Amino acid sequence: MSWRAELLAVEAVLVRNALMASRNVFFFFELLFWPIVGVLSIGLMTRFLRLSPEQASFVLVGTIALSVVNVCQLEVAYAVLLDVWSKSMKHQFMAPIGIRHLTLGSWLVGIVRGSAIFALLALLGWWAFGFDVLRPGWLALGAFLLGCFLNAWVVGVAVCALITLFGNRAEAFAWASVNLVLVLAGIYYPVSVLPEPVAVVARAIPLTYFLDAYRAHYGFASEFAAPVATGLALSALYAALAHWAFLAAVGRARRTGLLLKMSE
Amino acid sequence: MVSFTGMLAIDARDVTKTFRSGWLRRRETPALRGVSLAVPRGAIFGLLGPNGAGKTTFLSILATLLTPDGGSVCVLGHDVVREAGALRRRLNMASGRPSFLWSLRVGEILAFYGRLYGLAGAPLRRRIDELIELAELGPHRRVPYSELSTGLKQRVALAKSLVNDPELLFLDEPTLGLDPDVSVRVRQHIAELRRERAMTIVLTTHNMREAEELCDEIAFIKEGRILARGTSGELKRQIGLGEVIALRLDPADVPWLAEAPGVLRCVTVGGFTECTVDAAEKRLPELLRALHAEGVVVRHVQVREPELEEVFVELAR
Repeated sequence: MSWRAELLAVEAVLVRNALMASRNVFFFFELLFWPIVGVLSIGLMTRFLRLSPEQASFVLVGTIALSVVNVCQLEVAYAVLLDVWSKSMKHQFMAPIGIRHLTLGSWLVGIVRGSAIFALLALLGWWAFGFDVLRPGWLALGAFLLGCFLNAWVVGVAVCALITLFGNRAEAFAWASVNLVLVLAGIYYPVSVLPEPVAVVARAIPLTYFLDAYRAHYGFASEFAAPVATGLALSALYAALAHWAFLAAVGRARRTGLLLKMSE
Repeated sequence: MVSFTGMLAIDARDVTKTFRSGWLRRRETPALRGVSLAVPRGAIFGLLGPNGAGKTTFLSILATLLTPDGGSVCVLGHDVVREAGALRRRLNMASGRPSFLWSLRVGEILAFYGRLYGLAGAPLRRRIDELIELAELGPHRRVPYSELSTGLKQRVALAKSLVNDPELLFLDEPTLGLDPDVSVRVRQHIAELRRERAMTIVLTTHNMREAEELCDEIAFIKEGRILARGTSGELKRQIGLGEVIALRLDPADVPWLAEAPGVLRCVTVGGFTECTVDAAEKRLPELLRALHAEGVVVRHVQVREPELEEVFVELAR
């Protein structure tokens, strides 16, 4: 495929997902309702527990990361879910489109939505709880957001693979999987409080490192050496694995006929 | 008659496919059991058969949506497994049960697929305009897909299937659930596509009249095997259903006709006594002589071939 064709295929998916996102009520709930409820309830809890500003920042960083990753990974999962729900899988997979176009186009929409949520929650956190997302500086913030979006890519593509492998039954993964990853990555607590076997798993999750690096600017000593580099390396590894898994799942769906079943 | 280029659009040999299901108790459902089929370029080819015969499975393999278990399939010179990527640019499909993203408007659906096939900017806009005009979707261009009627959805599917101006078009029951007047227009349109663009079209349908009207050749598939293949006339002769002599008689009831030599069966339909005979040329004079001798007045005589539907019923049995 030429570069022009590659870009057009990504643009096709990007425009499609953006149009769908702008026209459906449940997208609105994902974008506004749940993230705002999350930050408000967690922020108020930090007040009730009389946490120090640093401790409150620690928890709010995790809460915001949860929303950003969740929304962005859902958008990546929509690359497949929208077609599963509308039963148009066969049209999509009969066209000259690769899974890289599907996931990249969706991911770009996810980044826009994730960034919008981040801006909104940052504003809310500053207004309601005096939490300043810019305190670590633009570079650290950029690395943190990049980490969130890369994690979202990995989880979203893995969810696409699972749905393509198991069909509609795997839809629940789209909403459940990110929570499992985020609990292990230490959203509301440092990884050091986890029991050792669980901490080993936590150390295998890239988001753990990006959270660690960002929180270091709020007065919490970093638990890892070179957390951003480690997070990026792990993200690249998992992104490659997730891509391969999705590719293999599509190949299997073509063999088993699941691709057709999901279009009936 | 179609002017074939000498090259085959489809060359499938001994294709097999078995669906497997269940994790613990494996169930195997053979869908294709050695299907071989060659379709020349520029032809309209009909694939007929009862439900579950393997038509959609075979079509899906040709369209690269399904991988065959065995055999070889070459479409437009490409192997459907090894060269699927290159092949996908050159073919398309419309289904009688179309489905697209519910919130997208007609123009947006066409734009999405247009981009996937490499169209952008002014050429994309021009193509969408052409297709909307062709499918008579002008007034519905900005209507979300979920708000369209069944007929309009099928027209969107047909328009989408032409977005890349395919060399090979698969139509899976294209007039399913359409009003008769709309079906007629769709059939006219399919015939035009072949006439004006020399497109190869493979069609599955349960509408025998549609198959007879459109297809140069027909293959009849049952239980994953091709049982018969040929033009509509050839199929009728292959099956040996004989010919039908329809007679309007006075008096209408002539019981001995069913026992006459060469008469395979005899039924009364709408005031006509229809005798299916082994060879009309030989039996018609004999019957007329016998009826005259018995004092039966023959008011009208018509000789016709059996309908394709009768061939279908016979083969599906």
